Amino acid sequence: MTKTLPLATASVHPLEPFIQKLLGAEALLPDSKTNVLEVVGILKSYGVVLDAYSKNLIYIADHQFLVLFPFFKYFNGEVTLAKLLRHWWHDRINFEYAEYCMKTMLWHGGGQMDAYLDSDDFLQRCGAAIAAKIKSNPAMRGLHGLFPDFLPEQVRQLAYYSALGQFWRVMSDLFIDLSDAYDAGRVQTIPDVVAFIKAGLVAAAANPITYAVEIGGTRYDVLPKSAGLTFLMDVAVPYVEAVFFRGTPFLGTVSYNAQANQISVDQGRFDYGALYADPLPIGGAGIPPTLLMQDMRHFLPDYLTAFYQSQGRGLDDVRVKICQSFQKSMFCVTSASLQGLLPHPADTTDPTERVANHEFLAAWMDRLATSRLDVVQL
Amino acid sequence: MLSTLILIPLVGVLVLCLWPDKLESKTAKLISGAALAFTLGWVGLLATRFELATPGFQFEELLPWVEPLGLSYRLGLDGLSLPLLVVNSLLGLVAIYISDPKLHRVRLYYILLLVINSAVAGAFLAANLLLFFIFYELELIPLYLLIAIWGGARRGYAATKFLIYTALSGVLILGTFLGLVWLSGNTSFDYDSGLAAALPLAQQVTLLVALLVGFGIKVPLFPFHTWLPDAHVEASTPVSVLLAGVLLKLGTYGVVRFGLGLLPDAWMALAPWMAIWAVVSVLYGSLAAIAQTDMKKMVAYSSIGHMGYVLLAAAASTPLSIVATVFQMISHGLISALLFLLVGVVYKTTGTRDLTVLRGLLNPERGLPFVGSMMILGVMASAGIPGMVGFISEFLVFRGSFLIFPVQTLLCMVGSGLTAVYFLLLVNRAFFGRLAIAPPTSIPQIDLVLPQVSWRDRVPALGLATLIVAFGLQPNWLARWSEHTTLVLHQPYQGFVQARTQSAPLLSAAVADPGANPGVDVGADPVLNVPALTVPAASVPVAPHAQVSLP
Repeated sequence: MTKTLPLATASVHPLEPFIQKLLGAEALLPDSKTNVLEVVGILKSYGVVLDAYSKNLIYIADHQFLVLFPFFKYFNGEVTLAKLLRHWWHDRINFEYAEYCMKTMLWHGGGQMDAYLDSDDFLQRCGAAIAAKIKSNPAMRGLHGLFPDFLPEQVRQLAYYSALGQFWRVMSDLFIDLSDAYDAGRVQTIPDVVAFIKAGLVAAAANPITYAVEIGGTRYDVLPKSAGLTFLMDVAVPYVEAVFFRGTPFLGTVSYNAQANQISVDQGRFDYGALYADPLPIGGAGIPPTLLMQDMRHFLPDYLTAFYQSQGRGLDDVRVKICQSFQKSMFCVTSASLQGLLPHPADTTDPTERVANHEFLAAWMDRLATSRLDVVQL
Repeated sequence: MLSTLILIPLVGVLVLCLWPDKLESKTAKLISGAALAFTLGWVGLLATRFELATPGFQFEELLPWVEPLGLSYRLGLDGLSLPLLVVNSLLGLVAIYISDPKLHRVRLYYILLLVINSAVAGAFLAANLLLFFIFYELELIPLYLLIAIWGGARRGYAATKFLIYTALSGVLILGTFLGLVWLSGNTSFDYDSGLAAALPLAQQVTLLVALLVGFGIKVPLFPFHTWLPDAHVEASTPVSVLLAGVLLKLGTYGVVRFGLGLLPDAWMALAPWMAIWAVVSVLYGSLAAIAQTDMKKMVAYSSIGHMGYVLLAAAASTPLSIVATVFQMISHGLISALLFLLVGVVYKTTGTRDLTVLRGLLNPERGLPFVGSMMILGVMASAGIPGMVGFISEFLVFRGSFLIFPVQTLLCMVGSGLTAVYFLLLVNRAFFGRLAIAPPTSIPQIDLVLPQVSWRDRVPALGLATLIVAFGLQPNWLARWSEHTTLVLHQPYQGFVQARTQSAPLLSAAVADPGANPGVDVGADPVLNVPALTVPAASVPVAPHAQVSLP
């Protein structure tokens, strides 16, 4: 539903305490032993799941290039009867969730990558790859002739498959490292967690994002290094914007009526992302947040399982609990991202830079006013 | 044989009274439960020996008691009372099972429950008018105490109101019985269908009016219903289950047994008015239910509406509609017991029954998905969705009454539609949407976790739901016991039914004419005696060889 944002004209921002926390290297999530346990534990299982998602996304981008009926895209090239039966039995990683995230990024765009995918350079490279792929396929040639925009759009989507795969590769390793650091006693507080993640993001910030496919023995660069796309600004930031903040109104648990203007016509005002998600499912099943919770359920560290077991309904409502912990962890990741993106160092003494930092964070806080920020404080 | 049904609970009472030391709740529950389980088993045993083709009382027992008064201890079992006895024992058992293990004054509580069970069994078995009255009155006191001691905040008010209304009901019934016997010059109060045969119509009508008001209070029918919602709201869940499932049935049983059975001439004279009364009661109960915001009150008002169907079917007095009265009593007993049971679980878990604050209880992870599913099944059954016993009973009521009172039946069918309205409101408000048990506030709150409902609390609901579906799929399992009894009850009304069906030739001909309406073949249905339109009156089927056909 369209919500009115708080007036940024107020003399003191309603979320000023959080701005100060972020400037003071703290987090949007309160620091407590349980929060650390939940956040690190859930990020560990998320890391395991992201590893699987990432591998599959990259597999699809590299090996299912312009396969219009990719029946076995979730099999990573290994199609066996046992795997097929397991797939149908649904006791598996729900790779669909990764695709939802990829499509959300594609839909919301943002960063240099979005701009590059509309450039002539990309169209040229894309055209060459398409021509090579369809040269001996009359049906696809006919399709391309009739709808010349269709296959390039598929390639744009494949570029997002690859980009998200590369992003999650880094995040997966980062979260597993975080868990190891926690186990080793090097991470003990929520600010430690945020600092760890921030350091990881900053370290990978300049990693190039590239994408190339091999067709008939020839390599085609779809996202060349020369495009200058980087990890932090061109994938991580659009990802946070698309998945944490904006999200998609139709893939959640609540039904919206777009015709009754329950959804803003301005995509920028969307607030259906992970930071706004309601962990209580409403009668539905198989919807994306549930898919992720379902996946993480398999990889919870023992201490987190024991913690959940000791609370309320035990493991009977574990998916809700996972979602709550996950949301907490995402507020930590958001904290780390915002701190990493500050226009100037947080501890600057220059008044102009301090004002710029403050304004930067206030703009983000405007958007968090309707999020679950108040609930995760409890 | 029959006295055993009255005595077993009383033996239980004796054991509870004489139990040495402090009586633990668990022990009391076990003793009472065993007594009622034994009673249920005994009814089952009687059912196996029950001769379906014998229309009158079976297993009769007669002990002279106060002969100058005409009071004898005469018991008998027939197709009308047998199913009600089963429901009495079954719901008594359910009530004991779901009773709060932590309640105070354990001994008295279980004694009262057993006394109610015994008294109700006695009333259903009594074949002497005074004996029925004694049992009818005997059941009031324990119920009054159960509401007054273990009820909610306004228990004193509700219990007193209940007592005043039902005492008045008792006075009217006693007056009717006395009038009936004394005016007819009899000395014995033994049940005899020809008791009032010699009475002039005016006297019969007067007696029937008094009887209908007396039992109408118990049923309850509009405008004598006001005690019921209060009693239900204040009563604890087990008492509500008993009240809706069994005790209200004493009223409808009385209407059928003593009104329809003893005063046929007056019955025929008043039948159209009774049908109109039924319509008013059905529509009033349903419309009032729509306006309720307390779940329990909504179910209570639905009871008022659904009991009206029994009056409509009894007024029509066709063989099918009389079967329908029994069916509706049992069906309502099971369904309302299930609904009250579930409302009780919701109340216990959430601490409220307020439909303006309850939301999303069907939530699979943190709500009450099982209770919600059972509730949906219960309200569907109540609204007459096929596949459940509510459909069969309502279908029988409407099918059996339509040709006699077409307009009234159609209006009652509107009541059936309204049932869907208020129960969908209930389900939609309380069970769908985002989980909540308090009004929304601007203060951030931790996501709600409701305590889980244990299997122990789910079992009775599951059992009742199973019966509701089983009888919905196999209605003959239930109807077979009552067919012959109801045919006997119908006998005096053959001419009446014929006359009514002939007096509405346009409507019935339109339905009966297979050429005009090939989809409905009522014309050849022996049950409704509609063949009178084409077949001579002498060939109208008479008990006991006629069969009541069920869908």
